[in-house]
Amino acid sequence: MNGPAKTAPTVTSGDRLDLLMAAARAGDAAAYRDFLGEASQRLRATLARKIGADAELEDLVQEALIACHEKRHTLDPGRPVAPWLNAIARYKLIDHWRKRGRSPIVLAEADGEIAADEFAGLDITALLGRLPHAQAEAIRLTHIEGLTNAEASERVGIGLSAMKLRVHRGMLRLKEIVDG
Amino acid sequence: MGRTEDLITRLASEGAARQGTATPHFALPLLLATILCIGATALVLEDAFPTYHLRGWMPMVVKWGFSVSLLLLAALALHVLGRPGRPSGWAVASLLLPFAYAAFFVLPALLFGDLPFPGEQWERCLIAMGIMSPIGFGSAVMATRWLAPTDTSRAGLAAGFFGGAMAMTAYAPFCPGEGGLYFVSFYLVPILTMAGIGWLLGPRLLRW
Repeated sequence: MNGPAKTAPTVTSGDRLDLLMAAARAGDAAAYRDFLGEASQRLRATLARKIGADAELEDLVQEALIACHEKRHTLDPGRPVAPWLNAIARYKLIDHWRKRGRSPIVLAEADGEIAADEFAGLDITALLGRLPHAQAEAIRLTHIEGLTNAEASERVGIGLSAMKLRVHRGMLRLKEIVDG
Repeated sequence: MGRTEDLITRLASEGAARQGTATPHFALPLLLATILCIGATALVLEDAFPTYHLRGWMPMVVKWGFSVSLLLLAALALHVLGRPGRPSGWAVASLLLPFAYAAFFVLPALLFGDLPFPGEQWERCLIAMGIMSPIGFGSAVMATRWLAPTDTSRAGLAAGFFGGAMAMTAYAPFCPGEGGLYFVSFYLVPILTMAGIGWLLGPRLLRW
């Protein structure tokens, strides 16, 4: 499948991705598997900062990974992999949002609708305890402490969109719990 | 994470070897469309270089100087924009160079020129630009889809410039029209229109 082994191009950076890709292109099949594994970890870390750690993250990681594989001929030999990988991750993230038709504004409005009267009179602290920590924290900051999404995202150290998504998912989950 | 591991195994089995070299895959549609349009124009129209006996090569130097440089720079911009993570601002900015070149000749002609406008065959010029620009644009889109543009609006813009420049390159030798106003009206405006359409359509046509 990979043809005869070739001489790997000189890689000057110490980045593991660069070394693995150079070896993979020289015909080392195991190196390509390691490359994809390493790339998936980095993609997951990059994308988690944007959308948070939830079920969609893994879908997006896989989508980006497939794109990297299918468009691997656009990575010129000898060029660093990281900027290429990050650009693909960014593009796939934007495409993902576009496809789902979820603008951050829509999420914020949807949360407002859910929040208005669904949880009145309930023990919110107990309900939050049933959510994943990240989602509970996001709701506590924005709906109890009264921070804006931007302030909350700054405090937690994640992107604004990721915060909005966490709040949105948390609110949906809370609604499910309350509805029984 | 099991599904991702399965995916990695499947992708790894296909290997890291590149699916051919990027440049021929990219260049072939562009070359074919250019040859097709130049060839078809030469077959359909007669009397190439109609103003040569009156004004020498200067009008062609201006027209081809502009269109060929825009054609090449647009192809270069597409080639760079199609590679994720590569700085591309310089390639897009370089598309302004042919316009600066044209302005050097066209502005004095606009200010001091006394050539009749629009001339006798302006409709033919518009028709040629209208037919061939989309062909060039289509070939540029096809070529770029093989790459991976992450800024699809910019790539669409460059593809539009390529289409317009290709049409002008093919038609200009048969164009009797002269003067700054003619250049602006029947070449610059159609090219900019095609580029604008490319900017708008890029995100749809170049999505991958």
